[in-house]
Amino acid sequence: MSQAATTAGAAPAASVASTEQYNYAIVKKFAVAAVLWGVFGMAAGVWIASQLAWPFLNFDIAQITFGRFRPVHTTAVIFGFGGNALFATSYYVVQRTCHARLWNDSLASFTFYGWNLALILGVISYMAGITQGREYAEFNWQIDLIILVTWVVYFLVFTMTLLRRNQPHIYVANWFFMSFILATALLHIFNNIEVPVGLFNPQSYPMFSGVQDAMRQWWYGHNAVGFFLTAAFLGMMYYFVPKQAGRPIYSYKLSIIHFWALIFLYMWVGAHHLHWTALPDWVSTLAATFSILLLLPSWGGMINGIMTLSGAWDKLRTDPIMLFLITALAFYGMSTFEGPMMSLKSVNALSHYTDWTVGHVHSGALGWVAMISFGSLYHLIPRLWNVNLFSLKLVYVHFFLATVGIVLYITAMWVAGIGQGLMLRAFDQYGNLAYTFTESVVFLHQPYVVRAIGGGLFLLGMVIMAFNIFMTVRSGIKAEARARQEAIEAEARTA
Amino acid sequence: MKHESVETNAGLLIVLTLAVISVGGLVEIVPLFYIDDTVEEVDGVRPYTPLEQRGRDIYIREGCYACHSQMVRPFRDEMLRYGNYSLAAESQYDYPFQWGSKRTGPDLARVGGKYSNEWQVQHLIDPQSLVPESIMPGYPWLAETPLDMSDLEDRMIALKRVGVPYSLTEEEYERNVEKYGEEHARMFDINRAEENLIEQAQAENFDGNSATITEMDAIVAYMQVLGTMVDFSEYDDGHFAEFR
Amino acid sequence: MLSLWEWIQDMGNSKTLALILFMSTFVGVVIYLFASPRRARKFETYRYIPLDDDDSHREPTTSRRDKTESDEQ
Repeated sequence: MSQAATTAGAAPAASVASTEQYNYAIVKKFAVAAVLWGVFGMAAGVWIASQLAWPFLNFDIAQITFGRFRPVHTTAVIFGFGGNALFATSYYVVQRTCHARLWNDSLASFTFYGWNLALILGVISYMAGITQGREYAEFNWQIDLIILVTWVVYFLVFTMTLLRRNQPHIYVANWFFMSFILATALLHIFNNIEVPVGLFNPQSYPMFSGVQDAMRQWWYGHNAVGFFLTAAFLGMMYYFVPKQAGRPIYSYKLSIIHFWALIFLYMWVGAHHLHWTALPDWVSTLAATFSILLLLPSWGGMINGIMTLSGAWDKLRTDPIMLFLITALAFYGMSTFEGPMMSLKSVNALSHYTDWTVGHVHSGALGWVAMISFGSLYHLIPRLWNVNLFSLKLVYVHFFLATVGIVLYITAMWVAGIGQGLMLRAFDQYGNLAYTFTESVVFLHQPYVVRAIGGGLFLLGMVIMAFNIFMTVRSGIKAEARARQEAIEAEARTA
Repeated sequence: MKHESVETNAGLLIVLTLAVISVGGLVEIVPLFYIDDTVEEVDGVRPYTPLEQRGRDIYIREGCYACHSQMVRPFRDEMLRYGNYSLAAESQYDYPFQWGSKRTGPDLARVGGKYSNEWQVQHLIDPQSLVPESIMPGYPWLAETPLDMSDLEDRMIALKRVGVPYSLTEEEYERNVEKYGEEHARMFDINRAEENLIEQAQAENFDGNSATITEMDAIVAYMQVLGTMVDFSEYDDGHFAEFR
Repeated sequence: MLSLWEWIQDMGNSKTLALILFMSTFVGVVIYLFASPRRARKFETYRYIPLDDDDSHREPTTSRRDKTESDEQ
């Protein structure tokens, strides 16, 4: 509490003070982990995308076939890259907006090791063929327990830090982070209720079957998108966009309205993944209705972020980090428009089960989630080590590669998805099916090649970022060592 | 209550957020467990035999669901291509469900009986040898790996716990005889699980190799039963429409 | 109690009720935010929270940025 007392007083003069005042060590760990998982997860993505374009790449090796490697990709990018980025930014934002040091250093670092241990075990187990067969929740039950414990500790650390704050108001970014922590706990627990086969057996069977299990899974699946990949990253946006722009957020009232609307509406929409299935019709109709409504709070967030820059648009010309953040919001707006459209039952009849869905997910995941994280990490990392970014030019290069990569990716997937959807429902003049399934697979080859190239460009950008971050951190560590050396020498001289 | 107290009180923020995010899930999920129409009554749907269930485990292990759905939707093109649309009852013993979300390959909900065992085996070992344009990976190791039966009973007991009517006691066995007939009921007896598995694998010899029971036996047995349990010729056209 | 349960089980009734409940909550939140100008003004002061945490780093970053800019010109 003594730290809190000093914080409340005069502002700290140097940033050396702020490293002591705040727990930066944990933020550093998570930030670096996010970059590493990003490189690995995106490389895995390019690999499986290439397998679809050139199937010989499966090499008849069980561990790297598409079916086993896809969860490696999704887990590494969503929970590895996204998750670590969220831990890093939430721990940073909650400290800086509450003017308080993070509660309990050792528990905070427990969340780092717990989370990353679970992910590494997960990746290894998928390749070994250990999986629950639930999309985005493939971790087997023992790993689920590690995640659960880690998450409870995360909740504790975050909440206790909020309680120690020296600022009466809880800034809206923290609301989003809190809703993300709570919802993820709820989703994780409910979707992973399983009966294990044995204490030392990784195999388990879920509590529910068929329709109920499908509903549970997609309630989880879509809300993982809604809270893990949206609400939490909005929290990131509400801090880093104003910060990087040097201007306050456009409207605080709007942020309150769209926060409550967003978290309320999201929980209803999962069943739009199950249109036209054996799920009762009323559920999917309800989900479609709420999906349309969800457009409003989603765009509320986008407008709030983009309008923050109103009157200072020239920043986009001079600041590549701002470019990342604002482009992320534009992609967020685009994919939250596309999503409700695809949840209409008539559109879904065509789009579902095709690559259109894959394209939609990636316009959100690459365009929104990854871009907002890139921008935030580029803002955050130099501050953590108290140095300048190694190269702003490389940030421009990264931005260029990422944007071209996304555009190639999603246009290829539009062509693939809509094309295949139309082919499969085409009839010839006698009322027979016009194409076999295999013919639609042949058609997909070219879009798949373009997609792999788009993904490759995005990965290249990520690698450049990793290099840029590496050089930045290295200079930070050197400067620190130099300062320490000088301090020792100065002490020696006075003595 | 003032919003001010929400934004200055972390506890209240937590409670309200929890309340708001719980509504949607409760309204949509809870009724599914109580409304009778969720899963319609159909003749013929039965639990998987030990061999089929082990095949299903392998299907999940290899991540087949990443590219194959098991859900025929009620559209003319899908019914022509795959067969009658899927019923909720047909996946009532699917722990977990495998409806899938993407068709990189065709739907498999009704693949049972469409191809011979020999075709399935050859296709799994080397898909391109039968369908040159296919982008499916080969699964040659399935034919070489003996099926692990060590935890078979534990698996069936776990499945029984979650709701599959496998039998352990005489009483439960009799109930199954009544419901599924003696031939099937024998297959659902956990006490003779391994015997049953070996018997089915040897009787039908799915992989063409009678010496060992391989993972290929199991997965082909599973594929061949998919979508075949309900005899749709017994029902009028449109009979199931009321459950949609 | 039972009759209330039966009444709410009718989809027509429960839909209407839910709509009224959710709509009035939403309108309530909106009114709360916008009705009193004083309160509205107070909310807008919270916008500055991220900016008043004395980020000593901003100076070097800006100077660096300026340098890159002049490099390009």
